[in-house]
Formats: sequence, structure tokens, C-alpha cells
Amino acid sequence: MHIHAYEKLWLAASVLLILLLIGSVTYGAVGPGVAMVADGQPTVDAQALDEDERFSEPRVERVGENEYAAYVVAYQFGFEPSPIVVPEDSTVTFYVTSRDVIHGFEVVGTNANTMVVPGEVSELTVEVDGSEEYGLICNEYCGAGHHVMEGKVNVVSQAEFEERNAGGDAA
Amino acid sequence: MAQTETARNATGEAGGEGDAEFDPIGTLTLIGIYFVILLLAWVYIYYVEFLGRDLVVVG
Repeated sequence: MHIHAYEKLWLAASVLLILLLIGSVTYGAVGPGVAMVADGQPTVDAQALDEDERFSEPRVERVGENEYAAYVVAYQFGFEPSPIVVPEDSTVTFYVTSRDVIHGFEVVGTNANTMVVPGEVSELTVEVDGSEEYGLICNEYCGAGHHVMEGKVNVVSQAEFEERNAGGDAA
Repeated sequence: MAQTETARNATGEAGGEGDAEFDPIGTLTLIGIYFVILLLAWVYIYYVEFLGRDLVVVG
């Protein structure tokens, strides 16, 4: 079969493009460590979150050297805790669940974004850098008050985090 | 012109010799431009917009 030289050229270019796209995604996974939100968490009883050891008291907890776990409950129409306060330069894992309908959990302007399904726990781990105040919104229509459903993720200094947590424990 | 060329090739009449006069340089240029646009768009979307944002999900 005879193929025109130009056609060979653009066939090669499209193959190159495909390799480049696959290569970038591979680089993203291996280099910066980009991961997907998986469904690795066991289910919970959405009707009885107040009896669940992780979600009865939504909070941010230290779980290791510079590692924190944030247990978040989404509801019509808000997020608990509010605001979610985490210390800077740390690794934070959010465990998010809903006690009523399907919600979204999107830290505005960032890649931290997941669906929140009642009975399921969405787990996502992010690296946070310096102090910053992020907005948090629900991006799944969840009812009449969907448009006012918002929260905050505040990244504060280590000292401020300790201080706030000490206050929270005492209260 | 392109149509005539296709027709001739389809009947097998022209063989390799048809290529000599049929160089779709305009098509090649267009595809080249699309290629560059795709390349730049991908670099921007993936490396700048996606990886450059805060809170990259790592687990």
C-alpha cells in the first residue's frame, strides 16, 4: 500500500501526541503523585452518624508526624466542622460523608474535589502549604438551600492550630 | 483537484506517480497548526492549570 509522505508525517505526529498525553499523566502520577479519590473506605450508617466514632464529632485530629485527619459531615445546608482548621505545611486527609442527600465537597480553586454520598466515606489526601483561607462549596444540587451551602478550610500556623485545638478540647 | 486525484488513485490508474503533483501543502500546514495548538493547550491545561493549583490530591 502506498502512503503519501505527508500522510506519514501527520500519522507520526498524532502518535507522538498520544504518547505525550499518556506520558504526562504517567509523570503526574509518578512525580507529583497525583491520585484519584477511590472508594476504599467501608460504608457507614448515614442515619446514625452521631453513633459513629469518626463522625459523631466532626473534627480535625493529628494522626502522625505532620499528618492530620479531618472528619467532615456534609448536610443540608452546610459542612461540619465549620470552619475546618488545619495547620500549614502538613498532609491532611479528609474523610467526608453526608447525613442526608448527595453533596459535593470542593475546596474552591483547588484540585480537592469529591462527591459526598450518604453511607459512603470519601477519602482524599492533600498537601497543604502556607496559611490560606479557602472557600468550600457543595457542587451537587442538594435542595432548596444548595446555593447557600458553603464552608471554609482555614490553613493556619502550627501555633494557632494548637491554640484553637486546646480551646476546642476545653469547651 | 483533490477529488480528481482520489478518483484516479481509486481506480489504480495513477499509482505512485500521482503523488508527484499532489502535495497538499495547505492541509499539511493546517495540521501542523492544529498540532501546535493541541500541544500548547495540553501543556497549559495539565502542567500549568492542573498541577500548578493548590491542594493536589495525593491519596
